[in-house]
Amino acid sequence: METTPGVGVARSSWSRLVTLGAVSILTYFGARLVLEVESIPTAWRVVAALVPVPFFSWLLYEIIRGSRQLDELQRRIHLEALAVASPVCLTILMTLGLLELVIPLNRNDWSYRHVWQMQGVIYIASLYLTQRRYGVTCE
Amino acid sequence: MTNRIRLLRADRDWTQEDLAARLGVSRQTVNAIETGRYDPSLPLAFKISQVFRLRIDEIFSPNGGK
Repeated sequence: METTPGVGVARSSWSRLVTLGAVSILTYFGARLVLEVESIPTAWRVVAALVPVPFFSWLLYEIIRGSRQLDELQRRIHLEALAVASPVCLTILMTLGLLELVIPLNRNDWSYRHVWQMQGVIYIASLYLTQRRYGVTCE
Repeated sequence: MTNRIRLLRADRDWTQEDLAARLGVSRQTVNAIETGRYDPSLPLAFKISQVFRLRIDEIFSPNGGK
């Protein structure tokens, strides 16, 4: 029996995606640690703030490459998950913005810098629900 | 839409993995089509008809159809 090229490649690139994702997140937290040290000159802190960019760009490139190897149902599931996650994040952003006009929100919990993390969590939750709807389970 | 893919596959003694490999999709996609949770695109439907050497309307029918 011949193998399924597209699906096989997607599976093998999954571990690379996870590794790259973990490295990208580590660079983000590394940058956060550096940025919290106020004794470091501003120029170096700006550099530290930009360090995660190439890693996340690489991750984005791999995600796009991986999505081209998915079959039509897998693409549909990701698209539906995004279609839910994006408006939910917009709603959260809008609500935070409106609330900020009325009450001071704690920057350490509710500032804009936390929304991208929320989006990741919402996307994964939405992906899980969409997969269940199509009877697809993680293997 | 209903389909006879599970029956046709069983007739040929193919697993979902076998059919998925012939169609170039994941096993989960074959499962979702067989259970009626997902209706395939027209290109995939044509591919399915080629794999089983049957016409599309011999494999797929509208809900409550023949």
